Amino acid sequence: MIEHESSIRDTSAGGHPDELLPWYANGTLEGEDRARVESHLAGCDRCRAEVEGLRELRAALKRGEAAEGPGELGRRRLRRTVAQERRRVRPRSLWRPALAAAAALVIAVETGLLVREATGPETYRPLQGAGPAEAVLQVRFAPEATEAQIRALLNEVGAYLVGGPGALGVYRLALEERGPDAVERAASRLRRREAIVREVRRQ
Amino acid sequence: MGALRDRSESAPAEHDDGQAATLLAAIADGSEPALERFYRTYEGVVYTFALRRLGEPADAADVLNETMLEVWRGAGRFEQRARVRTWLLGIAHHKILDRMRRRGRRREDELDPAMPDDEAEPAWASIAAAQDAGRLRACLDRLSDAHREVVHLAFFEDLSYPEIARLVGCPEGTVKTRMFHARRALKRCLVEGPEAAPGGGSE
Repeated sequence: MIEHESSIRDTSAGGHPDELLPWYANGTLEGEDRARVESHLAGCDRCRAEVEGLRELRAALKRGEAAEGPGELGRRRLRRTVAQERRRVRPRSLWRPALAAAAALVIAVETGLLVREATGPETYRPLQGAGPAEAVLQVRFAPEATEAQIRALLNEVGAYLVGGPGALGVYRLALEERGPDAVERAASRLRRREAIVREVRRQ
Repeated sequence: MGALRDRSESAPAEHDDGQAATLLAAIADGSEPALERFYRTYEGVVYTFALRRLGEPADAADVLNETMLEVWRGAGRFEQRARVRTWLLGIAHHKILDRMRRRGRRREDELDPAMPDDEAEPAWASIAAAQDAGRLRACLDRLSDAHREVVHLAFFEDLSYPEIARLVGCPEGTVKTRMFHARRALKRCLVEGPEAAPGGGSE
């Protein structure tokens, strides 16, 4: 690649700060660079016009440049790729550490569940700062279910773990899909897998 | 949720980045749902970047998948001081280069960035005309890859020149130089039309 370093005019001696203007136009210029451009622009019509042109270019690019990715197809492909990768590489310890990372959440859940068990029908609500996604289901898995079985089932149902296990072995699940029907659908699909799932409740 | 992360001294500048960093921590622990959420967030960023440089949707989809696999493998190597977006685009940048190397040849209709230095620099007057669509796209597509990349990163992603230099792995001066020549080639193409611009031969 040919880089024409030499052909940029030396602007350090008070010429037009041409090479900085694009980054003034995109709003990322800081410190000395920014001060230099600003003081120059105050007295230079040419550079003000240039900045204006660059802003137009930026706006036009933002309107026309974005492209839509492969979406669901891409997600499925990635899932297959990761599954291959998991077979290739020694399985990582995936269950416990993921939960440990959500420690604050788990504490909230446990507290909530204990309260819930003690007071019967009272509705449990997640404590504030509900974490990355709203849990809609509470699930207890069969003690003999393996991690691989549980993971496959969650992928199949489009559910993911957002908390647990609580003191009573209850995990909280969120769903990829939104809406009340989605929750009911997921719950009944989970219930059908009796070998893996012991109990499903709506949050 | 302070227990999730203890990074107060190097908190990411952007709120979105904070969330993305949390997702990366979960991915590093082996959470596929977290990877899926990460994919949903950044699919467009990576795909658009790859498509604008490679031109082929199938190639861009490959790069997207390879980049996300790399995220799966290397999420634990993400440094909290960096921005997630810059880190991710850096991974994509290398995947794109790999693909270009495998592909071999340069395009032959590339705009010649080596414009004589004393030639009067055109103004941006015709950007307005280009805004109705195709012309700007056509001119961008005919920039050399390195030039198109810097234009994309500066005006579509709004990255600063130090960020671009780190991402691409070249000196900051080179980023400015590339942008300088990209602007001139682009301006000239917008004025004269993509058909009129002389083809390649810069190497």
